[in-house]
Amino acid sequence: MPSQRCFAKRSLAKRLPMLGSATYTKSFALLVGACLAAGLMVAAAAPAQAETLRAVIAQTQPKIVKIYGAGGFQGLEAYQSGMLISAEGHVLTVWSYVLDTEEILVVLDDGRKFKAKLLGADPRLELAVLKIDADGLAHFNLPAAVPAESGARVLAFSNLFGVATGDEPASVQHGHVAVKSQLEARRGVFDTTYKGPVYILDAMTNNPGAAGGALTNGEGQLLAMLGKELKNSLNNTWLNYAIPIDQIVTTVDDIQTGKFVRAATDEPEQKPEKALNVELLGMVLVPDVLERTPPFVDAVRSDSPAAAAGLRADDLVLFVNDRLVQSCKALAVELEFIDRIDPVKITVIRDQELVDVTLAAPAEKK
Amino acid sequence: MMHRLTLLRVRCAFAAICLALVCVAPRPALAQNLPQLEQEAMQAAVSRVAPSIVRIETVGGLERIGKVLLGTGPTTGLIVSADGYIISSAFNFAQKPTSILVGLADGTRTPAKLVATDHQRMLVLLKIHVEEALPVPEAVPENEMQVGQWSIAVGRTFEGGQPNMSAGIVSGLNRIWGKAIQTDAKVSPANYGGPLVDIRGRVLGVLVPLSPQATNDLAGVEWYDSGIGFAVPLAHINSVLPKLKAGTDLKPGILGVSFNGNDLYSKQPVIASCRPNSPAYKAGLKAGDQIVEIDGSPIERQAQLRQQINRRYAGDTLKVVVLRDKERIERDIPLVDQLEPYERAFLGILPKRDTPADPAGVTVRYVYPESPAAKAGLLVGDVIVSVDGQAVANREALIERANAWQLDKTFKLEARRSGETLNLEIKPVAETAAVPAELPAHDTVTAPAGERPQVGRIDIKLPEFKNECIAYVPDSYNPQASYGLVVWLHPPGGTKEEELLARWKEACDKQNLILLAPRSTDPAKWLPPEADFIAKTIAQVRQTYNVDPQRVAIHGFQGGGSLAYAVAFTHRDIARGVAAVDAPILGKPPENEPTYRLAFFVTTAKKANFAEQIKAGIEQLKQLKYAVTVKDQGDLGRQLNDAEFAELLRWIDSLDKI
Repeated sequence: MPSQRCFAKRSLAKRLPMLGSATYTKSFALLVGACLAAGLMVAAAAPAQAETLRAVIAQTQPKIVKIYGAGGFQGLEAYQSGMLISAEGHVLTVWSYVLDTEEILVVLDDGRKFKAKLLGADPRLELAVLKIDADGLAHFNLPAAVPAESGARVLAFSNLFGVATGDEPASVQHGHVAVKSQLEARRGVFDTTYKGPVYILDAMTNNPGAAGGALTNGEGQLLAMLGKELKNSLNNTWLNYAIPIDQIVTTVDDIQTGKFVRAATDEPEQKPEKALNVELLGMVLVPDVLERTPPFVDAVRSDSPAAAAGLRADDLVLFVNDRLVQSCKALAVELEFIDRIDPVKITVIRDQELVDVTLAAPAEKK
Repeated sequence: MMHRLTLLRVRCAFAAICLALVCVAPRPALAQNLPQLEQEAMQAAVSRVAPSIVRIETVGGLERIGKVLLGTGPTTGLIVSADGYIISSAFNFAQKPTSILVGLADGTRTPAKLVATDHQRMLVLLKIHVEEALPVPEAVPENEMQVGQWSIAVGRTFEGGQPNMSAGIVSGLNRIWGKAIQTDAKVSPANYGGPLVDIRGRVLGVLVPLSPQATNDLAGVEWYDSGIGFAVPLAHINSVLPKLKAGTDLKPGILGVSFNGNDLYSKQPVIASCRPNSPAYKAGLKAGDQIVEIDGSPIERQAQLRQQINRRYAGDTLKVVVLRDKERIERDIPLVDQLEPYERAFLGILPKRDTPADPAGVTVRYVYPESPAAKAGLLVGDVIVSVDGQAVANREALIERANAWQLDKTFKLEARRSGETLNLEIKPVAETAAVPAELPAHDTVTAPAGERPQVGRIDIKLPEFKNECIAYVPDSYNPQASYGLVVWLHPPGGTKEEELLARWKEACDKQNLILLAPRSTDPAKWLPPEADFIAKTIAQVRQTYNVDPQRVAIHGFQGGGSLAYAVAFTHRDIARGVAAVDAPILGKPPENEPTYRLAFFVTTAKKANFAEQIKAGIEQLKQLKYAVTVKDQGDLGRQLNDAEFAELLRWIDSLDKI
């Protein structure tokens, strides 16, 4: 969890229009329910997909559950969202501290309350599967999930801010896929263990309590699971994202069928035993006196790999193996990931031109 | 919009059953695919503009400015000219990077140079070397823009390099004093510098953070992703492009008039004063002139005037019409980017405080020796009742009048002395930085009966900050009396509470002062963002206690003193004095302005850690014509000794001098 939350974002997010619970009156919900029952009977005869937004929402909301567990102190909410993925009560949600308790409660759309069992979790994918004792439930069919393109209109279903309780349906938000991107990017950018592709959204979906909710397209087809609250350390903005179902479907299936073997919770990026450093390359950088001292070459030692590659004083190092290094510190960190026996590609800027060179540290004497 | 349109998409079989229940009328088939068509149109719009959107990366630079932690992440730019000119948001360059790299749509990276900055609309122009012509996007003419039309904010900042889009509508036009389009698409560092496009992929404007109040590089960032975002019309950018390409920085234009009162919306723009040698002054405008027209637009309120001026650049010429004694006077006035510094004109008195509203007037509490007041024969106890024939009701009114005084310009002062009327001619001089050697004692205040806020040593805690803070309010606190407020900012390592109270308790009791002592979260140092916390605690104290706004001083030693400067510079409406002991200036001192008065009490020492910076800072303040009281501490910088502390107390007691 980000330790500091942006107050402005949260309070504003509360005011964002929701198409869901806030606008639903009970009588209207009943009416929709009646419609739905009638619609489903027809559907048996002609496989009519529900195509109105209202119907899509009404069909989707029963698949969303409210999850209550640990938390409730230090600003940590004791609730999150989840989605039903089987008629027998399998619930997909995000792995979080909320589930870190014996007492996990799942409340269905119709208000029924169940004690849930944690079937399994994969912290790397930030997912968990719960099981409640019920049957005949409306649910998503994970293998039938579809992908989405940038710009696609989407609906996000969740119990953000825990606003819905009892038999109140989940909230619905609408927006677009801003872009499909990766969370891995550069090291330390995101405080999450999930490193795969995500849908970045242009709606304020990732609020407290929303994680584990469902992202669907306008037809109600499942696209992704809403992620946790996450700050992008590259520009200090909150990120709204969802994890595509195709990234997690296999693991979820393994958990459901009991085949899942829990992986190590954290696999830090492997650093080589003997890493490269600037001294080995024969570069002397300017003194690192600022937070972001630009990595200018101050001098090049003669008979060094840097000298052999033609690096000069006043070159500014921009890339190490095509990774942008924005300061002397970043350069040092980047080199820690490179084994000293491997050659390294360095890109510098010299007289407003980019210059690529490849350096190899001298082999160690035995 | 989606929820309305999709109602039309009811399938027949389903609709037939629902019809009986909820009476949803079937609609023509034509509209059925509208949401799909809109989605496709948006995707096509983004694809159309995408080749003109570049990704910008920077190397080196500052980590944070003020309270804002600057990201290192990629930002966005928009190609505006085929020969390699790229416009972006000044926000993206606030950290003053050492090196700039531009990534074109095809992924190639090229070094870029910063050519010019538009400080008025917070844009920068970059230049890259190109072999082939770059794709330039089409601009939407400003007269075609409509509130309610689709607008899509596009950036290129996420991993993978694909453009990221956020859909919304145009929420307003001519915002921020006529400078920007407003949208509800999500606008943030993820797309600052990128375009806001219409549904056809034509560019409405370039996304920038803007704020109606603040004008620095980061103003408006606090509104990111909150349903309000701004874009400077591309049509406007194109109109100033030749100047920017020539390397000319564009700056806000200044007219040089000031108005009394802060109500922008009710007051007629009657000039309170023209700054000497300002464009308005040179054009012959005078205090009392009412501005009625600018460039043909009628002006009835100050806000309209701001609307007209705040969008202009220095160098632009305004046609100004003023009304003087019912006569229309028309002037063409070229705006400038900088005014000669304002120097406060000084009568030479301290006013008595908390006097009854009746009789009206300002009772003289103290007369500065050798001052214009002394020379004119004004005495302690005299009651000033009018200036230049206009009545002054109280201290606040006289201070407001004094804001318009000019050095060496004589004015008439009427005063009462035991039933007698005095008519004096006053020629004000520059405000003195000398602190009176002795001041009359304060009236003794006694605690009232009945309820009053907490007194004595108090803990103050703001829920949104981790910082701790204590305050001391005299036991005799009486809400009928006004209190000066001293904010003590401790040096690195903190100040022991007993020592602090031992130092200040007696002074607070005697001189009607409230002491506020916030603590930094990291005991070893203050961080610039903590200025915000300090400002908020001051606001909190002012809400609870009767604080005299003219006597709020921020006082600190070493690191605390530097932060005292920062607090006063960034929260100008709060502080009237900075007492910085052995501390260099943090931040750039703002211009001296009549309505935001600020006095300084600083110490120097030959072998102080930052002796040179401290000296340079004092020079800077003096050049801006602030009143700076300088105490030399000899060789080494240290805490104030008893004599210096007594002088500090008198300095605080004279912050409301007129």
